[in-house]
Amino acid sequence: MTTDLLLLGGGIAAGLFGSLLGLGGGILIVPLLTLGLLGFSLPIHEAVGVSLVSVIVTSSASGGVYLRRRVANLRLGMLLELFTASGALVGGLVAFLVPDRLLAALFAALLVYTGVTMLRGGRVEYVADVDRDDGADDPANGIPDDRGVPRDGRPPGLTERLVAEISEPGYAVRNLPRGIVAAGFAGVASALLGIGGGIVKVPVMHVVMGVPLRVAAATSNVMIGITAASSAIIYLLRGGIDPYVAGPTALGVFAGASVGSRLVERVDVRILRVLFVAVLAYTAVQMAARALAS
Amino acid sequence: MNRAPADTGRRDFEVTIGRVVTVGTAIGVTLITVGVALMVVGGVSPLEPSPAFSLRAIGAEVVAGRPRGFLWLGLIAAIATPPARVVGSLIGYLRQGERPMVLVSVAILAVIAGGVALALATGSGVG
Repeated sequence: MTTDLLLLGGGIAAGLFGSLLGLGGGILIVPLLTLGLLGFSLPIHEAVGVSLVSVIVTSSASGGVYLRRRVANLRLGMLLELFTASGALVGGLVAFLVPDRLLAALFAALLVYTGVTMLRGGRVEYVADVDRDDGADDPANGIPDDRGVPRDGRPPGLTERLVAEISEPGYAVRNLPRGIVAAGFAGVASALLGIGGGIVKVPVMHVVMGVPLRVAAATSNVMIGITAASSAIIYLLRGGIDPYVAGPTALGVFAGASVGSRLVERVDVRILRVLFVAVLAYTAVQMAARALAS
Repeated sequence: MNRAPADTGRRDFEVTIGRVVTVGTAIGVTLITVGVALMVVGGVSPLEPSPAFSLRAIGAEVVAGRPRGFLWLGLIAAIATPPARVVGSLIGYLRQGERPMVLVSVAILAVIAGGVALALATGSGVG
């Protein structure tokens, strides 16, 4: 099989598995391109550039749908993506100075974290299918709407005005400063490792900021486009994206994720999850070996 | 759920933004698909040396039917779609007079512009 078809097939597998398990393709694409699994091996910097493009395509496709279905909180997403974009800008510039081995070590740590998260809680909810939600945390289900406005009569400060702006009927966003710090961290991680950063953003938005899970997952999808685009532009202008590799890979991931989102209701993901954790463990060991290689 | 008129208005605007994102993604994916098809037909291997990115050359390469022209154009469309969504949001927020979100939109675009300027200033860093 020719290399372009291998890339297409690898991208389809990454997109399909990622979609079924609530992950983006990035966490699979970088190992696929760097560990020689397709018969060749790219430097991590180049694989990250390819992965960022794939992440943009898939997250934009689903993000557009979530906006049209009125699930995502665009205002919250835009406020946070100001900081993910800033983090991605820093990460995108620093990435070219970071040795390949350090990136491999960071990626191995990310794989271990993702595997442990999956074993403990199931879906990572990077691209969670928002239609699967049972409605228990739906914004319309009676949570008090205080919109962050102070109850003691004093005029609202900047943070309170922002909170009022980004809260929706049914829930008030809380802990905005912590969310902003997490968003910046997610941006740096995205630019360095070629991931969407949803693995950080979704839990923070849901658990720390009080955003309903389905809204957090959809909002994260919308945000990922700007997060990844901020650093992808730097990779593109600095010659870090190979179109002959990025094209087939991004197309494959897009196709795989599209099929996966339609299959997710019909597939028992429990066995798939165990298999996937094993793949993550194997990949983490390979990445760690690459980091330690002399 | 009953929404206040202001909420309904801002939600309608977000639906339009969602359409912008969907159309941009479709354009990018279509161009990349054409590029990949031309790669397969023309026997272009992904292992060939990566062509240098040149905005000026893309038009001529597309006209000549070279895969890299379509691939570059598709990749640019894909990468430009999220910033285009921010530009669309900025216009919407300006029309609705939402100053805080106008400032947020402008700040995001400024960060992206800063990244472009820094990348151009520091040149190629990939070995």
